[in-house]
Amino acid sequence: MKKRLIIPITSLLALLAAFGIGALIILANGDSPVQAYGALLRGAFGSPRGIASTLSSATPLIFTGLGVAVAFKAGMANIGAEGQLYMGGMAAAVVALFVPAPSIILIPLSLLAAFVIGGLYGAIPAVLKVKTNTNEVVTTLMLNYIAKSFTSFLVNYPLKAPGSPLGQTNNILDAAKLPILFKGSRFNIGFIVAVLAAVAVAVMYRRSVMGYEMRVQGENKLFASYVGIDVNKRLTQGMFIGGGLAGLGGAVLVMGIQYKFVQGISPGYGFDGLTIALMAAFNAIAVIPIAILFGALRSGGLTMEMNTAVPSELGVVIQAVVILFMAARAPLSKKVSDYLDYRSTRRETGKTPPDPLKKAEEGGAV
Amino acid sequence: MNVLTVLFSAATFAATLRMAVPLLFVALGGVLTKRAGIENIGLEGLMLIGCFSGFAANYFTSNWIVGILAAMAVTVLFALLFGLFVVQIRSHEIVAGTAMNVMGSALTTYLLRSMFGVKGSFTDERVRTIPNISLPVIKDIPVLGTVLSGQSILFWVSLAATAIIIFMLYRTKLGFYIRAAGENEKALASAGVNVKKVRYIALIMHGMLIGLGGIYLSTGYLTQYVEDMTAGRGFIAMAAYAFGMARPGRTFFAVLLFAFVQALSSRLQIFGVPSYFADMIPYAITILVLAVTSYREMKRERV
Repeated sequence: MKKRLIIPITSLLALLAAFGIGALIILANGDSPVQAYGALLRGAFGSPRGIASTLSSATPLIFTGLGVAVAFKAGMANIGAEGQLYMGGMAAAVVALFVPAPSIILIPLSLLAAFVIGGLYGAIPAVLKVKTNTNEVVTTLMLNYIAKSFTSFLVNYPLKAPGSPLGQTNNILDAAKLPILFKGSRFNIGFIVAVLAAVAVAVMYRRSVMGYEMRVQGENKLFASYVGIDVNKRLTQGMFIGGGLAGLGGAVLVMGIQYKFVQGISPGYGFDGLTIALMAAFNAIAVIPIAILFGALRSGGLTMEMNTAVPSELGVVIQAVVILFMAARAPLSKKVSDYLDYRSTRRETGKTPPDPLKKAEEGGAV
Repeated sequence: MNVLTVLFSAATFAATLRMAVPLLFVALGGVLTKRAGIENIGLEGLMLIGCFSGFAANYFTSNWIVGILAAMAVTVLFALLFGLFVVQIRSHEIVAGTAMNVMGSALTTYLLRSMFGVKGSFTDERVRTIPNISLPVIKDIPVLGTVLSGQSILFWVSLAATAIIIFMLYRTKLGFYIRAAGENEKALASAGVNVKKVRYIALIMHGMLIGLGGIYLSTGYLTQYVEDMTAGRGFIAMAAYAFGMARPGRTFFAVLLFAFVQALSSRLQIFGVPSYFADMIPYAITILVLAVTSYREMKRERV
């Protein structure tokens, strides 16, 4: 077994196990897992329309997954993607509501606004970490709620659509709506932008000095500062880009799905982004298929609910189990990889090195 | 009618105490694990699990005591599940905590629909409310009576819990072990103490407290279960113990402060002032306080 296979194999195992646990829950509910999962699959991939809806659900998830991945690679445990999404989505909405311009200008401008505002919001915890050594876990988490309350205020007061009973803005200008790729659905060019963004992130890590240094300082700050990398700058840049990507997730919700900013616009896409980024082991390209899978859980869940007695929330339960397994993966796969090292050392040298399992017990892992 | 007399009336203070109860339980739970060296960002999810399971048990037995006990027991189970990953497997605690939050929200919504066939909110006459205590003598004293008399039993339990935890943490061997597990786990291990066991004990108490915080919402504060009814209280509790530097006394005051802000904001809504800014206050102050204290610590370490 090769070491590089550990991540895909464990991801697959975690997924299978989670669906297994989901099946048990369905059985406990008195339904047939085969029927329920069949309906889920049919709903998500069974028709062109289903596929379009799966891909449109996946679009914001690709962005938040990328946003979390970039931040983690820069060494920031970013659990603030939800808040960055809200701020970015609001920025896109404001531009898309009030700037009278043709699509060719308005769409990029709205996306840019989302990226910059999401990025600046993401940079706050980075600056706090760099300047005051404040732990980013608590700050990113708290900033989620500030962003939610702030945007709720805006859509209920200054930006409220007149006469609407709900907290929401007016519809955005037609020119700002993302062009639809499949008639009769909301599958739009946002998906293509998301895929391009993933490619851009991958290229950034391979080809640019900024990407390289960002990654190196994320892995080992001490080493990075020895070789002359400006650690603080790269960390802040990483959080800015991560926040910006999550902000774009908000923009595609506003400009491609809702056509307005609705209070509580995201049902936890930012937290889904964390799961996706972890499963992808922070690899930008791997984010895409995993986000599609999560999109399928959401869009297929509705079909499952209509055709069987199983509530669509089962998809989220499965997701929670996947996250738990992902939490266990890093330490467990470290043990596996240590064991593989141990075996190959023994084979090559004929000597027996210290038992890695005992060592891992004492050392602990990420 | 003077705005200030409405805002700073006895009713506002009574409301402050009512809002403080769930926050206090959950924040104290967070204090224990934090001191034992575990950061659980899954407080919100665990609280929701306690809130729902206790309500369901109360529904099936029409007994509020069974409801409270069930809430505590089920929350402890999930806290131990969290512990299995964080203490045993040494998983990333942020990821495991996120899993708890997602799980709490998904599982309770799923079960609400599959067990009771309802969406949104659920109430039934079979569910018994946790009684309030009317204090003799005190209830006739003007302001004090309104504030203290008629509070839930769990209000008094939460005060007792605060006192017990302060005593336990600073005056008993177990408390010493818990603090050592957080500050220097190697030293504790080399003194022959089983660190994992200490952490599991902290997690059990953590689960009990959070279960109490959850059940207070669905059968104390209200007698109704509403989807995601914790509504961010788990995170406010987290803010409170972060603000309180994981010290129970300081956390207690942080909880009172945040609860007062909430009570004030719901009063201000009477005058048409939106609550959104008040909603942000606990988070904003916590970020500010964390930044200032971290900065001071950083300076001190450099010197």
